[in-house]
Amino acid sequence: MDLLRTEHAFQDGLIGRSQDVLRVVRGNARESAETMFGVYRKAYWARLVEALGNDFPALNALMGDEAFDRMARAYIARNPSQHPSIRWAGRRLAEFLAGEAPYRDDPWFGDMARFDWALAFAFDAPDAPAAALADLAGMPPEFWGTIRLQFHPTLDHFGVSTPVDEARLRLLENADVTLDRQARCDRAIMVWRIAYDLKFRAIDLLEHAALQAMQNGATFGDMCELVAQQVSPDAAPLRAAQILQGWLECGIVATVGHEGLGSAA
Amino acid sequence: MAERAVTDLGFGLGLRSQHYPAILEGTPDVDWFEIISENYMVDGGRPLAKLMAIRERYPMVMHGVSLSIGSTDPLNMDYLARLKALAARVEPAIVSDHLCWTGVAGLNMHDLLPLPLTEEALAHVAARVDQVQSFLGRELALENASTYVTFAQDAIPEWEFLAEIARRTGCRLLLDVNNIYVSAFNHDFRAIDYIDAIPREAVAYIHLAGHENNKTYIIDTHDHPVVGDVWQLYAHAIQRLGPVATMIERDDKIPPLEELVQELAHARKVAAAALKKQAQVA
Repeated sequence: MDLLRTEHAFQDGLIGRSQDVLRVVRGNARESAETMFGVYRKAYWARLVEALGNDFPALNALMGDEAFDRMARAYIARNPSQHPSIRWAGRRLAEFLAGEAPYRDDPWFGDMARFDWALAFAFDAPDAPAAALADLAGMPPEFWGTIRLQFHPTLDHFGVSTPVDEARLRLLENADVTLDRQARCDRAIMVWRIAYDLKFRAIDLLEHAALQAMQNGATFGDMCELVAQQVSPDAAPLRAAQILQGWLECGIVATVGHEGLGSAA
Repeated sequence: MAERAVTDLGFGLGLRSQHYPAILEGTPDVDWFEIISENYMVDGGRPLAKLMAIRERYPMVMHGVSLSIGSTDPLNMDYLARLKALAARVEPAIVSDHLCWTGVAGLNMHDLLPLPLTEEALAHVAARVDQVQSFLGRELALENASTYVTFAQDAIPEWEFLAEIARRTGCRLLLDVNNIYVSAFNHDFRAIDYIDAIPREAVAYIHLAGHENNKTYIIDTHDHPVVGDVWQLYAHAIQRLGPVATMIERDDKIPPLEELVQELAHARKVAAAALKKQAQVA
């Protein structure tokens, strides 16, 4: 068997597609080829399950070790790793849990996986300074409508239907904690990093819509119009300003730019 | 190409995140650190910051696990570009990876998988080592991985395979003495024969590690201290090769730094005694 076919047969043996590899590998004087090849096969699955456990600690605590192991193996079978770093092996896990029976029947799983992943992403995303509220000081009122934001490269955000933001820390402190698994909500979570500290905050759907719009290039004026669709026209500018202020205070904005003057941070 | 002075680095440890505070707050008796390249091929955050803070104080070697030099998939040029960028940042004494493959058809098994030891594989690996060294603009060191199976088509002993790759490409070798011991046990050959066949000028540095003995085979777990037999083999290697940079690799069940520093002190003693014996024989 040539090198190419040998490697494909070996890999197929690891991931369980075929056992043809046993025709070309040899064990030793004490153990069969099957036993010795089994060292590789067991290590393949164990290593990936362990990596997923490291990257999804709260999901692991939520499911328990046995169920997590079973789920992780099902995920790996459907989504073998394609990245040189094992750290990316779980990038499709939240999507898998949201779409795959029986996991899709419990939205806690997909939400917690998404939360864990956002924290793992923010951990080593690019460094960048954050803009501050002071960057808006002295800005002439006529420019406010044209403000555009560049968000911090560590920022991630996603909608959830379960209160995983309230449960995560409790679960990590005590995996046996009693949670109200029937609890549902309708909000979003922002995750980001300041220096080396990971941060998160729950936001309502209006703020989430505003964040998505600004991230897609909308101006502050556009955002005020979007807010005005949800609150009274009189209250919209203040609410939009409060949202902007909150973003600058918590450090998720990298730069503030406006028409004519470019970036202010 | 890098200076061959890598062999003079002294005694090092694998850099593990658990030890960042102890390294940065103290002055551990460690001459250099080896990093797992993939752990730092990231865009920012704490890992890179700690890495560079430690790099300011210690020489480093970059050791990868995903080059997949033996794969029949094309070389992953994105990976190589990131490796090269990290090397530009870290300025390591040498860049190393393993004689192995890690996946085909675009997949990564995240393991150091064995190659059939054939003329075809030899030509394939040598061509890719040339390609990698040319791209990186520096020498690569290849490590012997622990293996658990052999192949029906094997035609070349692993030590000859490695020596020939070094001869054809000018690459260096990272001699893992524990891996030699593990593979020798698993495949019933003499570990000393392996070491005696390695061209001494090709050896860049030596790895030492622990393993798990299951009686009928040994697994290279890197989660235990170095065992007595491996220390003896290491002494033999130093007697034959002369002074070579040496490091202890612990990947799991990571003990406090002080424990590894003590184990490293033992490596210094074993090497010193071996060199003394070598001088007496000469």
